[in-house]
Amino acid sequence: MKSIQRRLSLGLVGVLLVVGLLLAQTSLWLFELGLRRYLEVGLSNEAEGLLVSISRGSTGLQLEPQRLTPSYGRPLSGHYFRVEAAGQVWRSRSLWDHELAKPARPGLQQALVDGPQGQQLLVLRADYRRFGQPLSITVAEDYSPLLSSFRQVQYIGLGLGLAALLLVLFLQRLTVRNALRPLEQARQQIAQLQDGQRAQLETQVPEELEPLVAQINHLLRHTSDTLTRSRHALGNLGHALKTPLAVLLSLAGRAELNAHPELQTTLREQLAQINQRLARELARARLSDEVLPGAQFECAAELPGLFSTLALIHPRDLQLSWQAPPGLRLPWDREDLLEVLGNLLDNACKWAASRVQLQISLADGRYCLWVDDDGPGIAVAQRDAVLERGTRLDEQVAGHGLGLGVVRDSVEAWGGSLQLQDSPLGGLRVAIELSRGARAAS
Amino acid sequence: MRLLLVEDHVPLADELLASLIRQGYAVDWLADGRDAAYQGATEPYDLIILDLGLPGKPGLEVLREWRAGGLATPVLILTARSSWAERIEGLQAGADDYLSKPFHPQELLLRIQGLLRRAHGLANQPQLQAAGLQLDESRQCVSRGAEVIELTAAEFRLLRYFMLHPQQLLSKSHLAEHMYDGETERDSNVLEVQVNRLRGKLGREVIETKRGQGYRFTGVSG
Repeated sequence: MKSIQRRLSLGLVGVLLVVGLLLAQTSLWLFELGLRRYLEVGLSNEAEGLLVSISRGSTGLQLEPQRLTPSYGRPLSGHYFRVEAAGQVWRSRSLWDHELAKPARPGLQQALVDGPQGQQLLVLRADYRRFGQPLSITVAEDYSPLLSSFRQVQYIGLGLGLAALLLVLFLQRLTVRNALRPLEQARQQIAQLQDGQRAQLETQVPEELEPLVAQINHLLRHTSDTLTRSRHALGNLGHALKTPLAVLLSLAGRAELNAHPELQTTLREQLAQINQRLARELARARLSDEVLPGAQFECAAELPGLFSTLALIHPRDLQLSWQAPPGLRLPWDREDLLEVLGNLLDNACKWAASRVQLQISLADGRYCLWVDDDGPGIAVAQRDAVLERGTRLDEQVAGHGLGLGVVRDSVEAWGGSLQLQDSPLGGLRVAIELSRGARAAS
Repeated sequence: MRLLLVEDHVPLADELLASLIRQGYAVDWLADGRDAAYQGATEPYDLIILDLGLPGKPGLEVLREWRAGGLATPVLILTARSSWAERIEGLQAGADDYLSKPFHPQELLLRIQGLLRRAHGLANQPQLQAAGLQLDESRQCVSRGAEVIELTAAEFRLLRYFMLHPQQLLSKSHLAEHMYDGETERDSNVLEVQVNRLRGKLGREVIETKRGQGYRFTGVSG
């Protein structure tokens, strides 16, 4: 896409050039026309003066030199004449050795005629009758000084025009930049939207942008509403199914059933399977691959709550700590991340002897999440099996069971990696690596 | 121990009521959030079990209202919404524990016991211990050293209350308020009889009588 700025500049330059040249050239032409008309009057006066200085002499018609303007006598003065009458031709002395041709038609000649010494001559031919004889008088005047001054005016005009053009372009650039500032603001706000720093675009924008902003805001609202609604629907489904499940579980534990232990066991197993399946599918379905604007995970805001919750759930003497760069936001949905971190930390708390630590770091656009504990850890050979087992639903493992499955689902959906490692604290480290690019690509 | 159960799903409430009463708790049951908000704040409950999806008023709002009104009673949230975000929200609203549905009834009973002990500053005990006595809440008997003493349901209830409030002066009316649910006729003579029975089983010095004021549990070593 071409930039609006460049397009506007090109259009403006084009229009200004065409109009400016047309205007300058036309005014110059009109001026020259007026000037020639003025010169024509002068030239015909000259011709009449010449006519008057012709008299009938003893040998016929003769030109009285003393009645001529002196400039006709000075060679190459720029004022010339040629008089033809009854086979006689008089040339002004100023012509020197140059031959001034008689124009074909009477009147002011449109074309300039070459004169002596490279002069350009404006020529007028006037025909008269005097003493019963036809007379043709041709007067000429040097036009080249005027031509050169015209050229000078053209150059100056061109220079002034160019300067004006540059000034106009500069001013236009400023104006356009000012006019486009709201667009730039909208662009920045959209970037903030992407970062989750705002949920809506500012609605105080110029009239032209209003429909666009309103449409974007509408879309945002629509998306967030839809997501919230579907999450609510899922939550309601879970609620609707889980309460009867709780009743059934309670019934399965009734004393009346103690007489039939195998019946009780089957009931409990099947109920547990339904429950696990339900929990897993609910967690998977509500896993959003699109991060909701304004619902990102802000470490400093979310982690204290999570850790005080963990401390409440595990009321033994555990040292819980977290580290994250100040102001760090993880660009994934906060509920999903809480689910991942909650499950991992809950597991860590179950196994830890005394310490659980969460470290979040950001390097080169990659987010590293480390959950460490000082518990027994998991032997290297068994780690793959544990990760694998986490994804199997029919396995009832306390601790690294369903929770790890949910974590794996989330990390996979985000295009990240999940690894079990040795922790410097002595137990297990669960290392998650996420990057924004991977999420965008997936 | 007097509990308030707020749960709108009737079959589950029936099950829980039966199981809680078997465990010797006096339980009041409410199904509506608005009733719960009022009654929870006015009656002297020892613990409240609160479902979040309630008709009338959402459970979280009820809880916030209680906490804003200065109610310090331990609250255990019972909910089908088990995500961490909701769990954190519940605990930040002032809940003391969070149990997600479906759950094993035994799990609920253990959480209630743990919560009651924690609320009385007796955390980190597998069994309720006070003043030389050890109470087995699942078998409803008490042991003094190696000696195991069987208790009736009424004695167990009374002793548990005493053991959770050791060295505290408890008036008869206070005891009656916490021993019986809202529907039961309260008769202080019955209480006197039960105190005497406990003294008969554990020794006279275990429960001290302050004339005109009430009883004080001092225990065997006190």
